Amino acid sequence: MKRISIDPITRLEGHGKIEIFLDEQGNVANAYFQVPELRGFEAFCVGRMAEDMPNITNRICGVCPEAHHLASTKALDQLFGLTPPPAARKLRELLYMAFFVTDHTTHFYALGGPDFIIGPDAPSTERNILGVIRKVGLDIGKQVIACRARNHAVIKKLGGRAIHPAAGLPGGWSQPLSEAGRKEIEQAARENIDFALFTLKIFHDIVLKNPAYLELVTSDLYLHRTYYMGTVDPVDRVNFYDGMIRVVDPEGEEFVKYTPADYYQHLAERVEPWTYLKFPYLKKVGWQGLTDGAKSGLYVASPLSRLNVADGMATPKAQEHYEELFATFAPGYTTKGRRKPIHHRLATHWARLIELLYAAEHMLALATDPEITSPEVRLISSGVKNREGVGSVEAPRGTLTHHYTTDANGVLTKVNMIVGTTNNYGPMAMSIKRAAEKLIQGGKIIEKGLLNRVEMAFRLYDPCLSCATHALPGEGPMEVVIRDANGLVVRTITRGRQP
Amino acid sequence: MRTIVIGLGNPLLTDDGLGIKAAALLRQRLGGDSKVDVMEAYTGGLDLMELMVGYGRAVVVDAVTTGHHRPGTLVELGLDDLLASRNSNSTHHTSLAVALETGKLLGLELPETVLFLGIEAGAANEFSEILTAPVRKTLPLLVEQVLTALADEVAP
Repeated sequence: MKRISIDPITRLEGHGKIEIFLDEQGNVANAYFQVPELRGFEAFCVGRMAEDMPNITNRICGVCPEAHHLASTKALDQLFGLTPPPAARKLRELLYMAFFVTDHTTHFYALGGPDFIIGPDAPSTERNILGVIRKVGLDIGKQVIACRARNHAVIKKLGGRAIHPAAGLPGGWSQPLSEAGRKEIEQAARENIDFALFTLKIFHDIVLKNPAYLELVTSDLYLHRTYYMGTVDPVDRVNFYDGMIRVVDPEGEEFVKYTPADYYQHLAERVEPWTYLKFPYLKKVGWQGLTDGAKSGLYVASPLSRLNVADGMATPKAQEHYEELFATFAPGYTTKGRRKPIHHRLATHWARLIELLYAAEHMLALATDPEITSPEVRLISSGVKNREGVGSVEAPRGTLTHHYTTDANGVLTKVNMIVGTTNNYGPMAMSIKRAAEKLIQGGKIIEKGLLNRVEMAFRLYDPCLSCATHALPGEGPMEVVIRDANGLVVRTITRGRQP
Repeated sequence: MRTIVIGLGNPLLTDDGLGIKAAALLRQRLGGDSKVDVMEAYTGGLDLMELMVGYGRAVVVDAVTTGHHRPGTLVELGLDDLLASRNSNSTHHTSLAVALETGKLLGLELPETVLFLGIEAGAANEFSEILTAPVRKTLPLLVEQVLTALADEVAP
């Protein structure tokens, strides 16, 4: 079997690696991410006090500490047997909406958008936020930075600290919100809604009105018929902070709906010899390898999957755009009347912007909720009540689950986490394979565009393996090493250093 | 013009915690200096650039993995070779170099110079809150280096 490796040039420890394996005919047999492991997180946590976890786990990732902080705090709610007062829950959600706005904004303008705004075949040195700003204008660039700044200020105000919030407590939140603070956040939320609508307009004008891009997005490039997962509220609408985990099958029928604490009954993790990262899959469907279809237990947890599992959005403007998304892809309806899922992976970029709008609208609803300034923000704990706690939220890149087990004194005896990106590890490998298949056939390798298409395949998932490892190629230089059947390097394709 | 010193890193990942520990030491030493702010951060790219807005000069301290030096070696990086820096680039927030150029294009007030100092890590993929011996030994030297650089600026 021939092997093609896409490696970062530098031998940075912790970087992932993409490997493409060819069969004897020179066609793509398989494609994998290889991700080095961060060793011993469980051992590092065992023996510590459970209540330290929100501030430990928000340090395992520099990208979504807010998601870890909240999942961890929710796991503590269960361990300590405390239901947070309504204001505490709303403050947590308010912080989380500000986080989603900044995270999804950054993805569109700095990571996912450049492939469309600059073009999928443009040099990688131009496909970045700089290129976007040069194309769409300085004023929009300023708005992006302003959006990030105002939401960072909200996170700092509510979370007590910039970047790594510290306000989560079992049974509540460490500080109430003043009326002055509330007003500032309300203003930020209003600006976020305008910004989200404006960003969707850019997506419409640049992507949907361009026949070539519309064809790319709606083509079968990166199309996989898989199961989808996401959190839904009591009436099956998208919710980022809390709810039931709903899974739909590739035809769109509900496969299962469960409380996050039962994840272990529904998910299993497959260990493969060539990577440390485990592949989660649906236990009741089973593991069939890296393949799609109703018989393969692989599922996706992403912005698109959240929209696929839900029956709608909880806010009016986001609902309008949700309707438009499904009207554009027209997946149809099941015999039971449910919308069928959209399997086109590039639609994830659009779904992410609809979520951006939802987060902004929901942020405004929370900021104008009379209860949000209530001083009743925490219950006082009298020690652990339960020996097990599971906390789950929707991280921007997929369902995030923290599971802690303690002794009677609240000392951790076991820790398990399924992070957002990990859910998509198998599907990402499939998308990379699909991209490679288009460009490698019968031993003939079309070098031009290979790196870009492979990168687009994983970028649409907004992968962040910082929690499980440290970094992925994507911002760094990359190298394709083509090996013959004996493993000898016959050719090397290099993407130059980025500025 | 004010200076910001940013210690980058993850305090839970052995030598990756270098920047955080360096920041704590530098804060003690620079406590009385009203022209210097010291911050800790575990983030890169745009987030890191945004921390520098409004400062005339920035010093960033981070663990590095060049693969070319023995663990514990003091390393100064230019903006072109920041890939060796463990935390300045982010898959989500882009690289610091792109972020700085973006900020300048948008007219943000950013430092004219960014000094980037680090120590080659021994272990940075394992969970521990303690630096490995070679990095621990070089840490005081790194701190002095930062202080020297800051003093140079004050007395040109």
